Amino acid sequence: MLADYGYIALLLIAAITVPALILLLAKVVAYKSKRPDPDNVKSSTYECGMQTIGSSWVQFNFRYYFYALLFVIFDIETVFLYPWAVYFRQLKFFGFIEMLIFILILVVGLVYAWRKGVMEWK
Amino acid sequence: MLPTTVLWAIFLLPLFSLVFIGLILRPFFNNYPKLSGYTIISCLTAALGLSIWVLTSSDQFPIGSTIEWAAVGDFKINLGFVADRLTAIMLIVVTGVSLLVQIYSQGYMRGDPGYHRYFAFMSLFTASMLGLVLASNLLLVYVFWEGVGLGSYLLIGFWFHKPSAAAAAKKAFIVTRFGDFGFLIGILILYFTAGTFNIAELNELAMLGVIGGTALTLAALGIFSGAVGKSAQFPLHTWLPDAMEGPTPVSSLIHAATMVAAGVYLVARTLPIFVSSETAIMFVAVIGGVTAIFAASMGLVMNDIKRVLAYSTISQLGYMMLGLGAVGVGIAQGELGEEFIWLAIAVGMFHLFTNAFFKCLLFLGAGSVSHASGGTFDMRLMGGLRKYMPWTFVTFLIGALSLSGIWPLAGFWSKDGIILRAWEYTPVLFWLAIITVFMTAFYMFRVVFMTFGGKYRGGEQSPGHGGHGHGEPHESPLVMVFPMVILALFAIGAGWAFWAGGAFEYLGGYAHGFFDVFTNVGEEPLPLISLTIALAGIMLAYAMYSARWISPEKVSQTFAPLYTLLSRKYYMDELYERIFVVRVLHRGLFYVIQTVDTYVVDGIVNGLANVTVLAGSGFRRLQTGQLQSYGLAIVLGILTIMLVWFVYK
Amino acid sequence: MNFWLLSPELSLVGIALTVILLDLFIQQKKVLAAISVFGLIIPIAFTIALWGENQASFSGMLVVDNFSLFFKFLILGITSLVILSSMDYARKFARFQGEYYALILLSAGGLMLMGSTGELISIYIALELASISLYALVSFLKDPKSSEAGLKYMILGAISSAVLLLGMAFVFGITGTTHLDQIADKVGALVSGGQLWDSPALLFGIVLLIAGFGFKIASVPFQMWVPDVYEGAPTPITAFLSVASKAAGIAVILRVFYTAFGIAEISADWAMIFAVLGAISMTIGNVVAIAQSNIKRMLGYSSIAHAGFLMVGLAAIGTLGQSGVLFFLAGYALANLGAFIAIIAISNKIGSDEIADYSGMARRSPVISFALAFSLISLIGIPPAVGFMAKFFIFNAAIQQDLLWLVLIAALNSVISAYYYLRVVKVMYVNEPTSEEPIPSSIPLRISLAIASIGVLVLGVYPWLVLRLAENAVAMFP
Repeated sequence: MLADYGYIALLLIAAITVPALILLLAKVVAYKSKRPDPDNVKSSTYECGMQTIGSSWVQFNFRYYFYALLFVIFDIETVFLYPWAVYFRQLKFFGFIEMLIFILILVVGLVYAWRKGVMEWK
Repeated sequence: MLPTTVLWAIFLLPLFSLVFIGLILRPFFNNYPKLSGYTIISCLTAALGLSIWVLTSSDQFPIGSTIEWAAVGDFKINLGFVADRLTAIMLIVVTGVSLLVQIYSQGYMRGDPGYHRYFAFMSLFTASMLGLVLASNLLLVYVFWEGVGLGSYLLIGFWFHKPSAAAAAKKAFIVTRFGDFGFLIGILILYFTAGTFNIAELNELAMLGVIGGTALTLAALGIFSGAVGKSAQFPLHTWLPDAMEGPTPVSSLIHAATMVAAGVYLVARTLPIFVSSETAIMFVAVIGGVTAIFAASMGLVMNDIKRVLAYSTISQLGYMMLGLGAVGVGIAQGELGEEFIWLAIAVGMFHLFTNAFFKCLLFLGAGSVSHASGGTFDMRLMGGLRKYMPWTFVTFLIGALSLSGIWPLAGFWSKDGIILRAWEYTPVLFWLAIITVFMTAFYMFRVVFMTFGGKYRGGEQSPGHGGHGHGEPHESPLVMVFPMVILALFAIGAGWAFWAGGAFEYLGGYAHGFFDVFTNVGEEPLPLISLTIALAGIMLAYAMYSARWISPEKVSQTFAPLYTLLSRKYYMDELYERIFVVRVLHRGLFYVIQTVDTYVVDGIVNGLANVTVLAGSGFRRLQTGQLQSYGLAIVLGILTIMLVWFVYK
Repeated sequence: MNFWLLSPELSLVGIALTVILLDLFIQQKKVLAAISVFGLIIPIAFTIALWGENQASFSGMLVVDNFSLFFKFLILGITSLVILSSMDYARKFARFQGEYYALILLSAGGLMLMGSTGELISIYIALELASISLYALVSFLKDPKSSEAGLKYMILGAISSAVLLLGMAFVFGITGTTHLDQIADKVGALVSGGQLWDSPALLFGIVLLIAGFGFKIASVPFQMWVPDVYEGAPTPITAFLSVASKAAGIAVILRVFYTAFGIAEISADWAMIFAVLGAISMTIGNVVAIAQSNIKRMLGYSSIAHAGFLMVGLAAIGTLGQSGVLFFLAGYALANLGAFIAIIAISNKIGSDEIADYSGMARRSPVISFALAFSLISLIGIPPAVGFMAKFFIFNAAIQQDLLWLVLIAALNSVISAYYYLRVVKVMYVNEPTSEEPIPSSIPLRISLAIASIGVLVLGVYPWLVLRLAENAVAMFP
């Protein structure tokens, strides 16, 4: 059984050597610019060929996150609702109650978000 | 017929006093402090009466009552009280001395704002001690053992606004706990080799040889380490002199009948276990002998009257251990039969018995002296008190004579017994004991002459206790003198076989004739020798401190290094405080940990950080250095466990 | 599918949701605390009613037996005391009081489930439910210290979760199952086939599991988060972390290691790992605690030391060790809660957790100071407080397993610990008070303090009832 681990070791060695070789290859083959490296142009941010304005580290309005979170929650709800709908007949009344409870919990979340003013953009 | 409920009643009476004072008197009758004093006195009087009943029912011994406290799985604990001759004598000593101390406290503590609290603590302390004496089971002994420790902590630190008192209380508690820890280990070893906590069964198993070998030796040494802590034997003696910070009646109770007696009592109680291992019993005897002379030598130079008495207590406790040990060694080496166990117990406990009276008396006398001379305990500020307080002087003198071992006072008889056995079974320790006799007589009469002889040197008003100032020194009130007189009677006669000294025979010793010392000179000259040496000690004290033929200042200058060594208590406190606590604990351990933290952990972390920086990653900005090291610790921990495990396999 | 078995957790989550909803419409936030506390009676009642059940449900993911019920009861009790003592403290939070109570309840639900599953993935999910709520609670004060504590706790918690998950993956990889009893069968087969030492991955998995759970119970070397987080977190949450979280961690360790890896060939090894880690934990915890000036930090190191004592019980394989650990947890929970509740009351007034600021507290507030002193005495292990009995049972178990060296270290450690606990007592009783103002305390806080202190005394004097419950609880282990 210990021998099986040998394969993992081989894989590890391979995983390290291959990228290293490729990087080395690039170093050897690549064209070397005469200009000091890196220069201003090279290290600037590439954005569809346009000149960038300001830093990309800007603050977003946190309400975006609220919306995103709420969206994800109800998105997932839909994901759960689909298979349930498909098997609705087999799951019978018990399945119906279960799903009601599930939705109820999400409703609690929605009510909570609503009351806390997440829905308003002020 | 003695009902077993009597045993429970003796223990529960002071406990009742505690509950009554704490729950009824303190909250509702705070303005009538005397009530709590009366409560404890009446409870202890009743307990003393019951103890006498127990004492006189010796034909029914051992009697006990046991309740099954718990049985969970294989683990059974039976709790119970048992009475035999040893218990009976201890009950009398504890209740009797405690009672007298409480009466004395009525006068001494008058006007103290913590009056209720004082008697509540006293009740707790006495109840724990009685429980310890009665317990039939080592586990229960341990519980009360800690109870006594707690009580002493509370009482020594009673004047907790005095930093020195609080420090002393803590010291007493922590130092004795070092011993207790060994005690607990000893109990556990015994339980797992013998399967029982019951003392009587353990003793029997040890005598039959069912338990033995290294385990038994270790267990006995463990128990003895507990006794060393509580009975202030070398090297754990340092707490006792500091414990003088408590109110004087407390010192008197601690020193005479309770806390320090607990250690000796414990060894006596489990003596069959000790004598089954020659190493263990020899250890007891040696520690006892060494402590006796070691403490006495420090007593020679102290100027605080209570401290002299404290070292004297340690020294006398050493005698008791020596007494138990000397006969025990005889038994362990096969020179004596096993039936002599009771003789060993009698020799050791008899000295505890007589010491309880004269030591308590001396402390109460010291308290009375201090009461008279404005609250100081410094003997250099006393002197000439003989004419101001004749009662105190006479009783104190009796105590001092008794402690020095002068015929025919109580101390002579009990000390004589110990010296005799030491001569027979541990000759080396005999010489230590005999030198100690000389020292004891010297320092006790140094106290007597400095305090009562000469002229009054006080004059200057030092802030007295309770705030009331003093003019001339004066005799203490009757409520304080009365217990001293009673104790003085015992200090005289507690060695006489036909009176209280019957305790010796009661325990299993055999009595001497009253004038044997002088008539049997040819056969047993030892008592005469020790008597002569004691008298020589008194004479030297007279020569130095009363007649001034020899100047004490010159002597101390001549032997300056020795004097300094003694007055600094062999630097034991410094050793423990500076070397052990400061160097080893604070500097040593912390230093090691800090070094490891600074160099090893940080070094690795920095190294790793440097690697990260070299790799040019922005990763570091997300984490603080600390968090990295935390995470690193987790990873290193896993790897170490893994590595050690595999290497081990 | 038996929902009756899940009733304590279901009702608890129900209460949490109710609290969140009511929070939206109620201005008097104290009502929420009252609802939480009185609501807790329902899950407690369910737990008591279930006592004696022994069933697995949800295809082995939920196991209800006396063991899990013991821990449920313990955690519910702790939660009630923490909420009671939070009522004063919660006024410090300008907003989100309802969330505070709800998160505590949800976290308690997760902790209860941790002790109640027989399957690795459910353990992980329960642990995350408890942890994520706790991350939020730790940073609830929103001051720099609290935020830092929350962030550190979360990052390190995530690391340890990852470690745990990796360990589970290894175990699953070798045994092909996540059910503890089936893992036990596989491990048994490996042992009888003599192939155990051919699969280091399994052993590596076990070490990773120890690391993951060790983080929860604050064992060295996975304890680094403890002092920072304990100091920064709101004090009631520190109390909750130090007892409830630790209790659940111990529950999981007991169940996983005794059920899945209980076979003697392997248990001797993990017991030795616990023994060594325990010895190191208590030594480091106690020695470093001496140097602390902040009482919460000091109790943090004390909590590390107590993890060490608990591991002495884990190392002592057998019924005595198991029941000893359970009893120790109950006693430790009471004593530690008592200490923290007293600290909450005092810091509400003086606004500081520095030990130096406690000077003369005994004269400003004798009752609270006494309760604190008594709790500390229990933590040292002096009778009649429960700490003595708790240590006694654990040491007893360890000695029966020939672990005398470990007991010696542990006993020496209790001596060392007396030093720093008594220092607090000394400051309170000896030093001069800086002001004469008494410490105010609300009725709920007093009730919780009284319950904790009386519990410490009662369990110390009469431990047998709880010990018998603990014995019943561990009877299901083979």
